[in-house]
Amino acid sequence: MITAVILSGGKGVRMKNVVPKQYLLLAGKPMIMHSIERIDSIPQINEIVIVCEKSFESSLELMMKQYNITTPIRFAPAGATRQESVFSGLQKVSNDLVLLHEAARPFVLKNDFLKLINEKEKNVTFGYEIPFTVVKGKEIILDTLSRDELKNIQLPQKFEVKTLLKAHEMAQKNNEKFTEDASMITTYKLADVKIINGNSYNIKITEPIDFLVGEIIYREIIRGRK
Amino acid sequence: MRVCIMTGAGSGIGRAVAIQLAEQKLYDHIAILGRNLEALNEVCKKMQPMVQTSVWDIDLNSPQKIPQIVEQIHEKCGSIDCLLNIAGYTDPQPLLTTSLENMEMTYNVNVFAPFLLIRETVKYMKKTGGKILNVASTAGMTPRPGWLSYSSSKAAVISMSQTLTEELSEYGIKVYCVSPGRCATKLRQKLAPNEDPTTIMQPEEVAEVICNLISDRENCLDGQNIVIRKQIKPKG
Ligand SMILES: NC(=O)c1ccc[n+]([C@@H]2O[C@H](COP(=O)([O-])OP(=O)(O)OC[C@H]3O[C@@H](n4cnc5c(N)ncnc54)[C@H](OP(=O)(O)O)[C@@H]3O)[C@@H](O)[C@H]2O)c1
Repeated sequence: MITAVILSGGKGVRMKNVVPKQYLLLAGKPMIMHSIERIDSIPQINEIVIVCEKSFESSLELMMKQYNITTPIRFAPAGATRQESVFSGLQKVSNDLVLLHEAARPFVLKNDFLKLINEKEKNVTFGYEIPFTVVKGKEIILDTLSRDELKNIQLPQKFEVKTLLKAHEMAQKNNEKFTEDASMITTYKLADVKIINGNSYNIKITEPIDFLVGEIIYREIIRGRK
Repeated sequence: MRVCIMTGAGSGIGRAVAIQLAEQKLYDHIAILGRNLEALNEVCKKMQPMVQTSVWDIDLNSPQKIPQIVEQIHEKCGSIDCLLNIAGYTDPQPLLTTSLENMEMTYNVNVFAPFLLIRETVKYMKKTGGKILNVASTAGMTPRPGWLSYSSSKAAVISMSQTLTEELSEYGIKVYCVSPGRCATKLRQKLAPNEDPTTIMQPEEVAEVICNLISDRENCLDGQNIVIRKQIKPKG
């Protein structure tokens, strides 16, 4: 069995909205519910941990009832950084394997979650081809990175809980900051992380324009075209 | 087990649907909601050789009990695959004699009960897919002076069906809306007391269209308001 940890601690600063984006309606449904409904339909997932601001717990609890979510839900308090939030979520996990996901990526299909779950490897991430050139440097270009060697990391990811916890503890000890977890595990050489092919529709909703694009993705990919 | 919930099975179009559903064995269990237990048990007797049935006592003018009933049906049967909102009520009055009670009762039976039934069944149906069919009326599409409460409630049913077609298609739930024209039933007699019922569409004919829509063969007609009318030649 496997636990899904959903990061939902964002405060919505970039969306310029009082309500954090993960609770705004996307295609008529709170963004976070898109992922939770699909996760709820997967029998191998027997626990969902939502990492969020404490003040949102009661409204999320009500939503779980309204949407008849039957997988048991636990809450973990969001931290000041993404790294702290993941660590906080891991404390509530009771399985050996975890699927790490974020509420701001609502367009992951049930089959995508199953691909990760069914992978033999314990540490797996989605990675998507980078269709543009990436350079190093802020004011002037210092180097051009070869895009053949690069992948864009997409959540969800699957990890062995004890490996990921160890990586977090090492990062805390060394006072090192990471914005993503697969790179944390590989930096400390704790395990290999397998990359499987991601999808163009699995966008992260960050800016207001992503909501518009998201409506189209919902129509074409999730709901299906008429 | 394939399970269908329906209202309005005691008479008219709903009764004809219930009997055809049983004959066609589209579902293994048909859960019937209504208040006229004598009529409902009578129709169940006709259905029982072919399918399992259960009767759930509820006056749809007080729809608050619906969540509890739907939960019990799901508990008993294990799934809900189809919902047919067929019950309807009318007390045709011009504006100036339409009471708030008339409005409330018409909306309770025609709009709020179907809304609650849909909301509660979708909680289960969203995991498996399924079909929902609402009976609206041509009265909800064209102005009918003197039918204010009924017409406006049926317009709401048409709009609700169209919204939910979009909202529920992600779950593989198809929402159908049919608008019959004149059909020989008790309700029609209230709306047009002087009409000869043998000269208009019969409930069995409307039921046939409904049963076709909810059969597995039909996959392309959801989301539109489907008008059911029959060309009737004048006698003589
Ligand atoms: N006949 C037409 O020309 C026509 C045209 C367009 C649309 N329609 C629609 O077709 C549907 C079926 O009506 P019908 O023509 O077959 O008429 P009907 O024979 O009068 O059937 C109406 C059904 O609704 C039930 N119902 C009404 N109020 C109820 C309540 N408070 N609680 C529980 N059940 C209640 C009735 O049960 P009780 O025995 O308990 O009253 C009856 O079974 C209705 O939605 C109607 O609006 C009819």
